[in-house]
Amino acid sequence: NSPAPLPERAIYGFALFLGSWFGFILYLIWAYIPETWLFSLGLTYWPQKYWAVALPVYLLVAVGIGYILLFGINMMSTAPLNSTHTITDNYAKKQQHKKFQEEAIPALRDIPISEVNRMFFLPEK
Amino acid sequence: MAEERRFRSVSGASIALRRRQHSASCRELAVRGPRLQLRSLSAATSAVWLAAYGLFALSENSMVLSAAIFITLIGLIIYLHFVKIDQESLLVIGSLGIQVTSSYASGKESTTFIEMGQVKDVVINEAIHMQKVIYYLCILLQDPEDPQGVSEVVPLFQSSKPRLDCLIEVYKSCQEILEQRKTAPQSS
Repeated sequence: NSPAPLPERAIYGFALFLGSWFGFILYLIWAYIPETWLFSLGLTYWPQKYWAVALPVYLLVAVGIGYILLFGINMMSTAPLNSTHTITDNYAKKQQHKKFQEEAIPALRDIPISEVNRMFFLPEK
Repeated sequence: MAEERRFRSVSGASIALRRRQHSASCRELAVRGPRLQLRSLSAATSAVWLAAYGLFALSENSMVLSAAIFITLIGLIIYLHFVKIDQESLLVIGSLGIQVTSSYASGKESTTFIEMGQVKDVVINEAIHMQKVIYYLCILLQDPEDPQGVSEVVPLFQSSKPRLDCLIEVYKSCQEILEQRKTAPQSS
């Protein structure tokens, strides 16, 4: 799964490049060439030109709202100050206590908040 | 004996912590926020009245002016009675419980009492609050089924929001009384 260049990837990239140029030229033709000229060529079943302006505007407004929406979703998912999620969670509640061995590094565990507070804020005499 | 010290809140306002020791196992800690300033009251009133005068100049309807006066008076009363908290106090009585009182600017007092059997510990917790990480003092309530678990978290000093130096003082005072629980003989 490395990101190194491969022949298949080069082919996909080139096909995508040609496809996006073709799509862009098609969009410019649809937006700028008057309808009567397109009708005289026989191309009659195309969407209204209104959408050539409306779709980009919709996209940009959606991107702008997306910024605000993401900000709001973040604020809503933050735990309120009175919830127990600020102190513990399921993994910490179900953790097992390993026995203390002399001269070994103690096992990693979630230290309860009372103990942490005592260590930080009460001076050791 | 009472002593008072000045501190700062999270937003930078000046607050005062007053500690009173009533007895060996009873302490009262009160945090008093700044009073309602005359300049902010005048600024808000002038802003509302200027906006109302602007609306009156546009619409030629004099009801806008009387409505503005009404809104200012009612708004001020609602603010003083429901929003502006002058003093928050914590009364810790070892072996009985903890009482939390909020006094509003209009004189209203709202009190909550938590008995000592339900109190697991009083700790300083840090959490995300409105794009900031703040320290706040909270009471951890015991879970009746699980002796190690916490059933509820009650945050204290929510409107004055003291900074860490003030919280450490309050924490040390509370812990001195809560430690007596372990050494004192259990009484049912």
